[in-house]
Amino acid sequence: MNAQSLDGAQSQVPPPIAGEAPLIRIKDLKVYFDLGVRREIDQDRRGLGIGVSIIGSFVGRFIIVWLAVVLDVYPVNIWARILFSVIAFGIAFLISSAFALLILGQRIRRVVKAVDGVSLDIRRGETLGLVGESGCGKTTLGRAVLRLTEPTSGQIFFRGTDLAQLSNSVMREQRRHLQIIFQDPYASLNPRMTVSQIIGEPLETFHLARGLAKKKRVQELMEMVGLSARFLKRYPHEFSGGQRQRIGIARALAVDPAFIVADEPISALDVSIQAQIMNLLDRLRRQKNLTYLFISHDLRAIQHVSDRVAVMYLGKIVELADGKSISQNPLMPYTKALISAVPVPDPKIEAKRRRIVLEGDVPSPINTPRGCRFHTRCPYAVEVCSEIEPQLVQIKPNHFAACIRISPAEPDIDRVAPGAAPGLRDHPASARA
Amino acid sequence: MTDSGHGNLLSVTDLRTYFETEDGTVKAVDGISFELKQGETLGIVGESGSGKSVANLSLMRLIPNPPGKIVSGSIVFAGRDVLKLSPREVRKLRGKRIAMIFQDPMTSLNPFMRVSKQLMEVTRLHLGHTKKQAREHAIKMLEHVGIPDARSRVDSYPHEFSGGMRQRVMIAMALSCRPELLIADEPTTALDVTIQAQILELINSLKAETGASVILITHDLGVVAGMTDHIIVMYAGKVFEQATTTELFERPGNPYTCGLLRSVPDPTDEQGKLYQIPGLPPDLAHLPPGCPFAPRCERAEEICRREFPPYVQLTREHYSLCHFASDVYTKSQAQEGNR
Repeated sequence: MNAQSLDGAQSQVPPPIAGEAPLIRIKDLKVYFDLGVRREIDQDRRGLGIGVSIIGSFVGRFIIVWLAVVLDVYPVNIWARILFSVIAFGIAFLISSAFALLILGQRIRRVVKAVDGVSLDIRRGETLGLVGESGCGKTTLGRAVLRLTEPTSGQIFFRGTDLAQLSNSVMREQRRHLQIIFQDPYASLNPRMTVSQIIGEPLETFHLARGLAKKKRVQELMEMVGLSARFLKRYPHEFSGGQRQRIGIARALAVDPAFIVADEPISALDVSIQAQIMNLLDRLRRQKNLTYLFISHDLRAIQHVSDRVAVMYLGKIVELADGKSISQNPLMPYTKALISAVPVPDPKIEAKRRRIVLEGDVPSPINTPRGCRFHTRCPYAVEVCSEIEPQLVQIKPNHFAACIRISPAEPDIDRVAPGAAPGLRDHPASARA
Repeated sequence: MTDSGHGNLLSVTDLRTYFETEDGTVKAVDGISFELKQGETLGIVGESGSGKSVANLSLMRLIPNPPGKIVSGSIVFAGRDVLKLSPREVRKLRGKRIAMIFQDPMTSLNPFMRVSKQLMEVTRLHLGHTKKQAREHAIKMLEHVGIPDARSRVDSYPHEFSGGMRQRVMIAMALSCRPELLIADEPTTALDVTIQAQILELINSLKAETGASVILITHDLGVVAGMTDHIIVMYAGKVFEQATTTELFERPGNPYTCGLLRSVPDPTDEQGKLYQIPGLPPDLAHLPPGCPFAPRCERAEEICRREFPPYVQLTREHYSLCHFASDVYTKSQAQEGNR
């Protein structure tokens, strides 16, 4: 993606509600993981490489044996000679193949583009759902917003300051307002600390309360998340998964944050407990005027808790709309497939419905496909899809999708003429590869 | 209610599997009975700790002893009681006539062994294949479960496959000997929804092709809705409800099933407060004297806390473990009429 098309993408970020700035504004956020440089001979020249290595090893062996004869260290015994020769051949092969790699190989920098240019506004008091398959970068995005993973580039505005620019110590201060709840409530709680220590720790870190005041506050927090104060002196292993998740929530709430990233908070829980935690999070949001970024792979849960839903695929947001539109009227083919794959607990609907079964797996984020990242699995893909990277465009009011085969005039991909790509007009010519 | 034979591939009667722990006896499976006909799919639904996995490990006689023990009951598979077979005979059954797919394919495949070797092991042991035959068979099975380029990938190690592909390998291995019964224990829980859809379609199509019976264990009511003929709902080691799939979803006769069905967010529904079952699943070592669900049940009355509920037959194939089973059933019938 080049600079011009980036500007295009930014102008299409959903406008904030009139008169109110979003709580968090993410601008073109990128998180790359560098896996280092590797030398590789590309496919076409591999034969040449092997040829060079073999010829090199014959020549090398000859030179070594000749040197041995000249220096008078060549063994007398016939078997020792054969052994010497074989070892010489081996050494020569290693040297010459390294040499072949050096002259024929290319330096390949392998970079995982976990988050690749995401622009997103999170409004005050809303729950923004972030959904996608594993490996799509949704957790990395959530962590990057809090700078638990350092963003490679881009900006994260929170109350007017760019979090990405802050120094580590200032950022640590800011984390008072930005908290996270993790997926695995067991792994995220220190097993050697009691519940009161766990919940009280952030109060001390930020010098919010000490002694008696701290104790009172911890009890208050436990009550808030529905845990009995009797449990104060217990350790995490004495609790069930749902209760541990409540402890995690209480700890996040201890510092009175404005924004919470909930990273798969219900995925590890039982069905009946999932409902409890979802209701708890929703109640707390209303009571404390919180804003959530709710990350999950569970579409049913995300539709239920979110005001708006962002669908992510291989590091990019591909669709963004309110929960109802996403579930009932998805526009982008990937979202369509995702929605159709969700099993419905109703045998009548299950019997009737046609599933869009996607072929294959999510491609590796190391070598993301050119053009639209989804074109390798997309049942609607046409040739241009592999050349042009689609931008997030407003197709319907407040419904954004990244697909060149649809446009505001023709939003339904099933009705678009075969092979046509009406969305192409909205894309700047510079975006063409 | 169980009469063995009569076209049943499997009939389980009053199976009890207990574990001796320091806390006392944990009745992980406490008196479950069900039947499975040729070519049918049975769904077992329950939360973690409800005993659904232990029930199925019992079927294969895979309960570690000690601490576990199958205390009583009979498991009649194709006319023979599995519990009375010698360990040797059970080994012949496992993998050949009864096969199992586990939740996490990475922990059930040997990471140090090539996939080809693991697949060949099964057929060489059970079908007496030669090395060459077994290899050809392994490739055929991998192609069958939709692994692209199977011939070159057969010699890969498990870590070289993605999660969905690994589960396909597991299915290929399970189906290598054309088992009559396939037990799938949470086969899609660790997978993404799009991959889940692929795997479920695959199990369905292979089932139609081989005519095998399937037991599908899951906590996801959505998965069983589209896949099964009968459903068993388990809670605290007991069968709480047993019915045909349509009947169970439309006219549930047990408060626990009603609660489970209501606590799944419905995409067509408006947002708002989600129904939640209060409280936590009980500690199996210290069950309350009455109904194990009573402390969490909104329908519970005095009697529920005092007496263990009866197993009420509602229709020919619909049973429910509840003091008020017929009440609940009538109510859901009325609700269904309103819809």
